[in-house]
Amino acid sequence: MTEPIFIDALGPRGPYRSRNRQTVTDVAGNPMVELTLVPELYVTRAMSAMHKAKTLPLEERLTALAKGGELFATGVVDGMSAADYQYMVSRMSGTPLPIVRRAAEGISRHAAEAYRSAQQARPIGAVNDWRDPRARHGTAAWVRRGDVFAVHAAGNHPGVHTLWMEALTLGYRVAVRPSRREPLTPYRLVSALRACGFGDDQIVMLPTDYAAADEILRQADLSMVYGGQDVIDKYAADPTVLPNGPGRSKILITADSDWRVYLDMIVASISHEGGTACVNTTAVFVEGDPTPVAEAIAERLSTIPSLSPEDDKAVLTAYSLDAAKTMESYLLEKAQGTKALLGGHGVVDELSDGSAVLRPAVHLVDSPFAEQVNIELAFPCVWVAPWTREAGTDIFHETLVLTAVTKDEHLLDELLEDPTIRNLYIGNHPTYWMAPGVPHDAFLGEFLMRTKAVIRD
Amino acid sequence: MIENILDLPLDAQPDADEFVRAAMEWHFSPETGSAYWLERAKTLPFDPRTDVKGFEDLALFPNIINELRDVRVEDLIPRGYGPNPDVVGVYESGGTTGAPKRVVVLRDWWERHIAWMSAGLDAAGFPRNVNWLAVLPSGPHIAGTLALHQARERGGIRFTIDLDPRWVKKLLAAGKGAEAERYADHLVEQAAFVLRTQDVGVLMTTPPLLKRMAGDDDLVDLINEKVQGIIWGGAHMDADTRDLYHTEVFPDVKIRGSYGSTMMLGGSNERLGADDPYISDPPAPYVTFRVVDPDTGRTVGYGERGQVVVNHVSKNMLLPNNLERDLATRVEPPAGQAGDSVADVAPVTHFESEAVIEGVY
Repeated sequence: MTEPIFIDALGPRGPYRSRNRQTVTDVAGNPMVELTLVPELYVTRAMSAMHKAKTLPLEERLTALAKGGELFATGVVDGMSAADYQYMVSRMSGTPLPIVRRAAEGISRHAAEAYRSAQQARPIGAVNDWRDPRARHGTAAWVRRGDVFAVHAAGNHPGVHTLWMEALTLGYRVAVRPSRREPLTPYRLVSALRACGFGDDQIVMLPTDYAAADEILRQADLSMVYGGQDVIDKYAADPTVLPNGPGRSKILITADSDWRVYLDMIVASISHEGGTACVNTTAVFVEGDPTPVAEAIAERLSTIPSLSPEDDKAVLTAYSLDAAKTMESYLLEKAQGTKALLGGHGVVDELSDGSAVLRPAVHLVDSPFAEQVNIELAFPCVWVAPWTREAGTDIFHETLVLTAVTKDEHLLDELLEDPTIRNLYIGNHPTYWMAPGVPHDAFLGEFLMRTKAVIRD
Repeated sequence: MIENILDLPLDAQPDADEFVRAAMEWHFSPETGSAYWLERAKTLPFDPRTDVKGFEDLALFPNIINELRDVRVEDLIPRGYGPNPDVVGVYESGGTTGAPKRVVVLRDWWERHIAWMSAGLDAAGFPRNVNWLAVLPSGPHIAGTLALHQARERGGIRFTIDLDPRWVKKLLAAGKGAEAERYADHLVEQAAFVLRTQDVGVLMTTPPLLKRMAGDDDLVDLINEKVQGIIWGGAHMDADTRDLYHTEVFPDVKIRGSYGSTMMLGGSNERLGADDPYISDPPAPYVTFRVVDPDTGRTVGYGERGQVVVNHVSKNMLLPNNLERDLATRVEPPAGQAGDSVADVAPVTHFESEAVIEGVY
């Protein structure tokens, strides 16, 4: 028996290990780490200390972020090498190892660029400092709406930990509640940032059970949460909480464009990142006959191999066999009345270690209004639907990313104007495309900051 | 003669079997039993006066707790108390699962219970002759009365801030968490007025409100400065939270939990010198615990967890086999004491739903 790996809370006065812990297993059910779950009182006290803490000066925090990101991606953090970290995350979350590696690099890159990225949200009429010469004639200053920012992180992809670093650059103290499914990434990132200059009371990681989780949000000035529709609904009326919910990303191809040219982009949009990201495509709408498009997608997706997540060539996300079966029966139930081109008899493929991958599923629905087109599941699962001008664009409401392959400028105007379509990509751009400085679901800065007038002598 | 063994002080610890036989005589004799039990006995498949030969035979009784939602309280008072029983009060259960359950508390039981708890406080080094602040419901639950009489017994004045936990539970059930928060803030604000202006040596409240006070650093300083002892009850506190209070938040204040409930007609005492885990010893054989496997009803082994079954046996009331909604670790009782002691009491948990939630998070 080896000593288990403990993931302690990273509190304002250093690490904290509780008696109440959760064993986090790999996808095959083998214990991997012992995760501390702090009681609500600990959260209350930690958040109180965060409010009293100082913010690290700008230059120091940008240096700490850049160094911390580098350390996170390449160094030894709390005794763990980068390679061990990546392996453990892939075994724990089922995320394919190549995706974990890319995500770690992405976090590192984003750490260095987070300030520049965050600044893209600053209104052109606003400056960062009253010392700016523009203040002599009167201007707007861009200021924080609070001091303490909390994140209820998700565990589906390490990349969810890029965004909150922008809050750090803007001077927020940040409290991260990790996912209990994959707490290793935030533990390593917060540890690395602390090792490179952030104080213990300026960034904390507070793993909690469900009951204590809300306390983090209550005690923060502003928060961001990830979750399903239930989470979105729960916080819909709370102006201090920014929810990140289902993506329900989609692709539309109109008759003026040849879908064959875009097939690579379509397939990649469905399966990239293991199909577990909110920017993965959930439905493809085709003006004209959708059948050949669906068949071509199915053919391409069928060639993806079933591999263990830690395999260098893994593409599909692994799950515990139970979780995979639950998801499969949900799919089979929901897919009734549709035509299955791939995965109609099931999608679970058991791996040798007792875990399983969910193989891709492609279903044809007979109407753009079919309820299935908004069923987003965390594996490559796509619904292909016919679309007509008469069906209109209302069906694209509440879409995180819509890739529209069309030459119809009037249609594009309409799609751009729809505020519930969060991002519009035109032409040959996959729905998963993201770049620093380009908003993911509006700029985070729009939520974190406001302007005030400043004029000086 | 029969009645003597039922009238002993709570720390006398009479022989449990003899005690239970005496209690059966009392509750099931037409001259002394309550209208409720005399009537109920007719439908029992056994005769309590002949078949209940000792403590273990209490298990013969059905759990009648739900009948206490409807019974006239007069019918619960044993006739042996005569035409003018000395009623301390009528108290009700939490009322979270439908209509509340109701018990009548009579003076003789209550005074002995208060004396027993007070002795426990002495043993734990709690001060006498200091004032108490009780941030607890004054009614219909038993806690507020307990604080009042404890303070009085120990030579202090009781200050009180009232609260309505049933309304809080309704707010939470309706998803109005923010409103519940505001109510809790309102309670803490009122408590702070008393703490700032008055001499308060003992603070008695619930874990959620204590936690809220601990979130206010000024209030924490004030409590550390003035309060010598904190008693919490009415909800659960996990070991990590207790440890934080002891080591970090109120390091020099004596903190004591009381696992009790209205349906026990009182509570238990925290075992001294057993800080981790925290153990509750009931005043057996009056109040006794049994820790059982909820599926089989069998008593679990020492050190194992199970659901708590409570017996209350006194002249005041017979309330056997009440399955509480609490989980606990079964612990050996103090030497010679009937039943179990319990540690790490926690609410019966409901597992999070396994249903698929759409979306990727």
